[in-house]
Amino acid sequence: MDEIKNVIELNNVTKDYGDFKLDAVNFNVPEGLVCGFIGQNGAGKTTTINLILDIIKRDAGEIRVFGKDIDKDSASLRENIGVVFDEMGFHEFMTGRDINIMMKNIFKNWEEDVFFDYLRRFSLPTKKKCGAFSRGMRMKLQIAVALSHHAKLLIMDEPTSGLDPIVRNEMIDIFREFVLEEDHTILLSSHITGDLEKLADEVVFIDGGKIVLSGNKDKILEKHGILKCKKEDLNRISDSLIVHWETGSFGAEVLVNDSHEASKLYPDMVMEPATLEQIMLHYAREVRK
Amino acid sequence: MMKGLIIKDLMCLKKQLTVFVYVLVGVLIVSVMYVLSARYGNIARAGAEMLVENDMSEIDVKNLSSMALVFFMLLPIAVIGDMANVFEADGKAGFNKVAGAFPVPLRTRLLSRYITICALFSLGVLIDILIALVLSTLTDLISLSDFLGIIVSAASVMSIYSALVIFFCLVFGYGKEQYAQICSLGTMVLSLILLQWKSVKRILTVITESNPVAAESIDSSFIWGALDFIKEKAWILFLIAATVSILSYGASLLVAERKRGVI
Repeated sequence: MDEIKNVIELNNVTKDYGDFKLDAVNFNVPEGLVCGFIGQNGAGKTTTINLILDIIKRDAGEIRVFGKDIDKDSASLRENIGVVFDEMGFHEFMTGRDINIMMKNIFKNWEEDVFFDYLRRFSLPTKKKCGAFSRGMRMKLQIAVALSHHAKLLIMDEPTSGLDPIVRNEMIDIFREFVLEEDHTILLSSHITGDLEKLADEVVFIDGGKIVLSGNKDKILEKHGILKCKKEDLNRISDSLIVHWETGSFGAEVLVNDSHEASKLYPDMVMEPATLEQIMLHYAREVRK
Repeated sequence: MMKGLIIKDLMCLKKQLTVFVYVLVGVLIVSVMYVLSARYGNIARAGAEMLVENDMSEIDVKNLSSMALVFFMLLPIAVIGDMANVFEADGKAGFNKVAGAFPVPLRTRLLSRYITICALFSLGVLIDILIALVLSTLTDLISLSDFLGIIVSAASVMSIYSALVIFFCLVFGYGKEQYAQICSLGTMVLSLILLQWKSVKRILTVITESNPVAAESIDSSFIWGALDFIKEKAWILFLIAATVSILSYGASLLVAERKRGVI
């Protein structure tokens, strides 16, 4: 069997800002997959992405991209990385043509035909200043840039936040198209778990600067479940199965970490599949308890 | 790779470059008018009156005329490139983050700023030299070598200012470009005062004590001496500009490495 190749590897990565600390973060992103990086606003997603791109320096730990230590030559590694940030970052006076002129002199593998094809496909005008673009258009412009230099890894920080469902779905289709090539990989950070549920193969959940949960998305969804019971039945449930519980006027809702086992042990209780959002919320609340 | 960043910097300076073209056209027109007036018009008449009334030599009058002309000539260099505008535009757009994701090392990103300055001032110097060549051929107001000295001196002083602006912009961060401009000017004025401390002391004595003996010592030779230095020893200013730029690059790289994400 082929060994799994990791495109991104983080080992005990730490960054301390005083009021916020990214604490010994460990996770890998395997090649050819879409990895969803979930967490609330301020959980540490952007800091982690900036560390991977070597935009900021880490205090400790090791980061490898395409198997190479980013300390050695992060600039040349970025030749194969397409990046989409939550804000556009291009000057408002720039047009699509201006961006093309700039980028073809920055990326060795820049393909202007591909770039203009994407602009056409996204219905983005080439002569209009991008300051006049809507948020959706700005994100599409960034995606066009990220996909026009033969990147093998796409790193995206909240690309779908603030977009309407139609544009979000269009983007998800583009990302799916990108990962059709088997050596193409995506790290997609978002707090909109619905998008990741549609797209991600792997999930990494970060909260308060710590990795709370990571692994195969389907396995995580399969393992976890929401157990619904009466409040007085809560103490019957084994502590080892409970991730977090909450009570409401209609009873209790428990996130369990082994839904099959819980179903077997408590057949009188209702077991419902958990969504990524429910899993994220329960884990986050448990951490804060 | 650096070329793309220089192109971006030039795009940021588009407005300034437009002003540069207008100033250039203005300077050309003013220069022609000035030359004509200095030969046949009011400036020539004023010069003649100064000779009679103010006990000035013919050389002094000629120097005054040429200095006024040079002042116009240096305007294109003065408006050509203020890096604070590039930092301001980058800060507003959040371009530093995007640039951080480019396959360009930090030192190269920083170097591109200095190369942009160098390219812009070279362009300004080149255009001024062309005008100077025409004017020195057509008139006897100022020789080409004097012109060259003044142009190189002005470009050197502006390069020192720009190199300091880059350093201070990195120190203060985005949104504080005005502080960088003030600090750069302040540093230059302070350095000049320290270098010319004896002369400054003499001027201060005249101002504070109304000392007529001291006032006599600040005669016209003091001013013309400075101008002669600019005309004849421009290479010293050029060397200072090169040294300040190298030092500014080194210091800016240290700041940029430490702060990360500011460029």
